[in-house]
Amino acid sequence: MFRRIFAIARRDIKSGLRDNMILYILLAPLLIAGLLRAFIPGAGENLVSTAVVEGSPQTLVDMLEAHGSVEILADREAVLRRVRATDDVFGVMVDGEQIEIIADGQEQKGSDTMVRGILQVWQEPPSDLPLTISFSDIGWTLSPLARYGGNILLVFTSVFGGMIVMLNLVEEKQEKTLAAVNVAAISRLEYIIGKGLLGFVIPIIHAWLILLIMGYEGIQYAMVTLVILSIALISLIIGFAIGIYNDNAMSAVSSMKIGFLPIFGSMFGAIFLAEKWHPLLYWSPFYWAFRSVDAIILHEADWGIFCSTAR
Amino acid sequence: MINVSELTYTYAHGSRPAIRDISFEVEKGEVFALLGPSGAGKSTTQGILTGLLPLQGGRAEVAGYDLRHRSRQLFNQIGVSFEQSNVYSKLTALENLVFYRRLFDTATLEPEDLLKMVGLDQVANQKAASFSKGMKHRLTFARSLINQPALWFLDEPTTGLDPAIAAQIREIILERKQSGTTILLTTHNMVLAEQLSDRIGFIVEGELKLVDTPRNLKLRYGERLVQVEYRENNQSHKELLSLTDEQERLRLQTIIGSAEIEIMHTREASLEEIFIKVTGRELI
Repeated sequence: MFRRIFAIARRDIKSGLRDNMILYILLAPLLIAGLLRAFIPGAGENLVSTAVVEGSPQTLVDMLEAHGSVEILADREAVLRRVRATDDVFGVMVDGEQIEIIADGQEQKGSDTMVRGILQVWQEPPSDLPLTISFSDIGWTLSPLARYGGNILLVFTSVFGGMIVMLNLVEEKQEKTLAAVNVAAISRLEYIIGKGLLGFVIPIIHAWLILLIMGYEGIQYAMVTLVILSIALISLIIGFAIGIYNDNAMSAVSSMKIGFLPIFGSMFGAIFLAEKWHPLLYWSPFYWAFRSVDAIILHEADWGIFCSTAR
Repeated sequence: MINVSELTYTYAHGSRPAIRDISFEVEKGEVFALLGPSGAGKSTTQGILTGLLPLQGGRAEVAGYDLRHRSRQLFNQIGVSFEQSNVYSKLTALENLVFYRRLFDTATLEPEDLLKMVGLDQVANQKAASFSKGMKHRLTFARSLINQPALWFLDEPTTGLDPAIAAQIREIILERKQSGTTILLTTHNMVLAEQLSDRIGFIVEGELKLVDTPRNLKLRYGERLVQVEYRENNQSHKELLSLTDEQERLRLQTIIGSAEIEIMHTREASLEEIFIKVTGRELI
């Protein structure tokens, strides 16, 4: 039984590696992950960029310029806007004896310690003077690009598994090889398992590689695998259905594209819609997958939540 | 090996049955040919017997398996060569056969040997996409032998092939026949059917009109003739005379006694002529 199942899967791999469209599907998520990783700020930077308001003490500006670039902006709002931008900039506000460091979470890990150190040197505070340095962020612990970009890619790769299965089925129909398989000693169940195997294996490998490329820390790989498996099953069913009803690759891909709409809709809805509108997306398994992966990336997921959700 | 009784099949969008009440038997080691024009029901019959089409009406037993209770084990014993080539174009010839052999539970032939047998050993590692129609057909044909089938279904095995390749395929079929393989041949090629078959069934408009050996068919329906070419008064003449007509027999005797015979041979009615005589249809 397993020999026949693996024969089907092995044939599909071999054939897929000789098909430009399938090769693209296999490589594109990894290339996109690499691009995302390149744009995630902080990595590899060794200078501290800061933004201050006009009128800040010149000695402070000089001290900060000695350790990196300094942008002098009109007011606090402008500094906040600058900090929220996608690159790696700290805001520094001085109010009398109180110094405030503003971060948005996308700065390189540990760079805030460096800013604190610079400010302490600038102050050279005598031990008898009270000094409070406060550190605050504006609610994000991970950059939006890293948090949502990686997540969207992870959920979307599950569809690619179904798409590869679909293209392999269409190939069998176009070349009429299904008739030859039907007169061989392989059962329908073995054939379906063999065909479907790649629909699970490819998204899981993609997911693991994307997580590695994106450089997330402390990821629960088992949880991610579970989420990917559950949505890969849905994508696989869609892939089989489209493969069965289409006789050529182009019409099958067109049908699959229509399926992208609810997938992207669910994910962007989860990002941009207010929480009160989220029940409108509860029907979509891709919404739940997106939320689950989000919780895993933010280290908010635990097995208890997973098990209760499963129940 | 095959036992078919009152087989009937109607396609989903068909207004009338594609085959009606077809009954025949094929003994072990026998080559049985279903002859008929396009659309007569040959491929439908073969489709049912190979499990590609469901059994709708009647009974059929193939290689000891009742098709009403289908078993995948049946496919270890049969091989099917399709009229239309159906190979994986992105795989090489060798990869096609290696993949296919893994789908069987029985001992299989070596793919390299099969490729050599059909003259594709030199292109074993070329993708089937680069093959000509004839090469793909040979690969499809070779694949049908990989599980050493006891019962071999051949659907138009030489149609569309050039004469040299067709002769090569015919030789392979004859070898398998001599080694005891049972063969069900569906074709509209009368010459091939006559050369290979032990018995022939004429099928027209979904009905099996007649089943017999090629020899009996000729004896029953064919007219024995003599074609004679002779010289008389320095002129060449050619005549076709019946051996069953008294007047023509006397005319033949006269020619033999008085003229210089150049060529003389008996000529039997062809299967095609008999087919037309029996069914009233031509083999198109």
